[in-house]
Amino acid sequence: MLLFRSEETVNAWCAAHDTPRRPLVNLEQLWQLAIHWYANRLTVESRRPAPDEMVSIFSSLGLTGPFWDPKSDQWK
Amino acid sequence: MAELDLDTKVKLAVYEITADTGRVPNSSQVADKIDIGENEVRSAFARLHGKRLLLPEPGDPTRIRMAPPFSGIPTSFPVEANGKQYYANCVWDAYGIAAALHCDAISRASDGHTGEPLTLEVKNGQPILKPYVAHFAVPAAHWWDNLIFT
Repeated sequence: MLLFRSEETVNAWCAAHDTPRRPLVNLEQLWQLAIHWYANRLTVESRRPAPDEMVSIFSSLGLTGPFWDPKSDQWK
Repeated sequence: MAELDLDTKVKLAVYEITADTGRVPNSSQVADKIDIGENEVRSAFARLHGKRLLLPEPGDPTRIRMAPPFSGIPTSFPVEANGKQYYANCVWDAYGIAAALHCDAISRASDGHTGEPLTLEVKNGQPILKPYVAHFAVPAAHWWDNLIFT
């Protein structure tokens, strides 16, 4: 995923690459995702969140719907 | 403390070397660090890939392309932290390096469309918030279909 100054440059990038506009995440949400995914990555216990845990994490940050569901079959 | 299994030893060695040097190690460097055969390390790389913890370099099982949040190759998301330069795989991972190392960090990134320099910074354990946004082009169900593109 890429970083953009604003929604306007996201829209321009999507148009230039003939790519559908997908969800945007702000920096506070992104930081929280980084903490959830990586805060224990250098430890013995580190592991990737399980699918249900991922849904719970995304939901806690307001990221809901099938786009954020790793088990969704809506997106081919 | 219970003896660690081989995959955990290899995973920890990969991350320890990366954190210490700023470079993701190859199988030879990991083998030297934990004193096992390089073939065993390569097999562990493959198993860790199966657990979605590492991505070997396509076509070269001795190298690691991604040990998330770290990249094995230079990217457009360099991250300065602890006096070293790392490379993140994406904007999420740029913050992820600060989170993994538990330290302040700065990433001199750029706008994905215009190329305008955009800086991400973590100071005193918190991000310096700006009105930037990350665009997730790929849905969660397909992140591991092609992790390099995601």
